[in-house]
Amino acid sequence: MSGFALQRSASGLPAVTTAKAKGRGSWNQRLRRAYVPLGILAIWQAGYALGWIPSQSVPPPSAIALAAWQLAITGQLADNILVSLERVAIGLGIGVAAGTVMALIAGLSRLGEDSIDPTLQMLRTLPHLALIPLMIMWFGIGETPKLTLIALGSLFPIYLNLFAGIRGADRKLREAANTLGLSPLETIINVVLPAALPNFLTGLRQAFGIAWITLVVAEQINASAGIGYLVMNARDFLRTDIIFVGLSIYAILGLLTDQSVRLLETTLLAWRPSFLKDATR
Amino acid sequence: MNMIASMPLSQSELHSDPGAAVSVRNLTRSFGGPAILDQITFSIAPGEFVALLGRSGSGKSTLLRTLAGLDPAPPETLTVPAARAVVFQEPRLLPWKRVWKNVALGLRMPDAKAKALDALAEVELQHRVEAWPLTLSGGEAQRAALARALVREPKLLLLDEPFASLDALTRMRMQALVASLWQAHKPAVLLVTHDVDEALLLADRVLVLIEGKIGIDTQIPLDRPRHASDPGFSTLRTKLLASLGVQG
Ligand SMILES: Nc1ncnc2c1ncn2[C@@H]1O[C@H](COP(=O)(O)OP(=O)(O)OP(=O)(O)O)[C@@H](O)[C@H]1O
Ligand SMILES: [Mg+2]
Repeated sequence: MSGFALQRSASGLPAVTTAKAKGRGSWNQRLRRAYVPLGILAIWQAGYALGWIPSQSVPPPSAIALAAWQLAITGQLADNILVSLERVAIGLGIGVAAGTVMALIAGLSRLGEDSIDPTLQMLRTLPHLALIPLMIMWFGIGETPKLTLIALGSLFPIYLNLFAGIRGADRKLREAANTLGLSPLETIINVVLPAALPNFLTGLRQAFGIAWITLVVAEQINASAGIGYLVMNARDFLRTDIIFVGLSIYAILGLLTDQSVRLLETTLLAWRPSFLKDATR
Repeated sequence: MNMIASMPLSQSELHSDPGAAVSVRNLTRSFGGPAILDQITFSIAPGEFVALLGRSGSGKSTLLRTLAGLDPAPPETLTVPAARAVVFQEPRLLPWKRVWKNVALGLRMPDAKAKALDALAEVELQHRVEAWPLTLSGGEAQRAALARALVREPKLLLLDEPFASLDALTRMRMQALVASLWQAHKPAVLLVTHDVDEALLLADRVLVLIEGKIGIDTQIPLDRPRHASDPGFSTLRTKLLASLGVQG
């Protein structure tokens, strides 16, 4: 450990090494993070073997793994995951695109702000899941209400964060760009939008979270495919093992999307001190 | 305008000639209250190094920002060259652009990168051209800002307390750097500073802003390179400090 720390200070940039960067640094430390979850699984399995946990309400990890395997070899698992992923991708795509466009309009012009912002600020206080009954009445029970709900849910975090980011862009930097002879459009491209990018990515991460929650709720109301369908179907057949498979998939997918936004952040925001881990080039 | 007696009067007439790099005529500026700049008139000759002193809040930055085109002014009160560059107290580099890209920003020419690298070499930053600005030290960042200003070959260089946030040693090195860059490129310079010694080391001429007017406009008739121990230095120093309300 101390050798590792020494090596870092020798790189010449110890000051910008953050606690986060250190915490994820070595394999030893990564492994350490897995100890507790693995321990819980072991106790869980042992509790079942010793008869402490009733298997019909909480199946053991081995049974969940077996159910997952059976679903996988019949192809049901992949099919249903793909259906759910597609819903999130389309709904989120629409929501992020709409939120981005609205934030640009409202953020870059006062007229745009006055036309868009008050309405969106009012609408955002309404929990979008409360719209489910209306959605079903308007669009039936097909894909449209699910996609609309996901899009609506993910629009607001994008809009709010990006709008704040655009408005928060450092006035001093915009002034400097002005003295360098940049046109207003060049200033937006070189100064305002890069300054708002961290906020956009925060919004994107929140939008992903909301999209997953919306998906779970929307799929449980009515679906003939998707992870939610798998879970509701399993309920009818008292297959708690499959329900647990569904829950694990939601968790894994949520984790993966969060990690991918993080990856996007480390790539796109490489200039930030917290991401400047190693050499600067 | 009351001038220090030693100052040749012909000089001020020279400044109103049409060949001046900067000419300000009856410029007034207020922010709702009393005028911060009150009927200010002065000019700067091409290649002249002028230091602007004044108490905090006396309107030095306001005047500099007006010359930079950042604050509005009626066009008839102001003649400035189109090629101007500003260095502020903070470096104001875009943190998401590598150092050389910051320097090349807004340069509209095919070999912008080569020019940016040359300018960075001139301020001794050739080893940091690919660095992210937030990894630069305070002095390095300010040198990059200086390179970004110089690469535009300004006819007027506006410096708003560019050394104020640096440590004493770095400040001395930066002052020497600015002096040599000015001698090499000869832009007209307006340096806003709190530091009387800095003004006396660098400037051909010192203006003092007092209650919205140019209260003092005096030549610094010292040979270059200058040193604080030069004869005449301390006399000028005492005089300027007194005008700022400090007993030298
Ligand atoms: N945008 C503004 N709105 C209102 N008042 C302002 C504005 N800009 C400057 N002022 C006021 O004008 C006066 C002069 O400000 P300025 O920044 O020019 O002073 P300064 O001489 O540069 O001071 P310092 O040496 O502390 O930098 C101050 O009283 C300041 O409060
Ligand atoms: Mg100031």
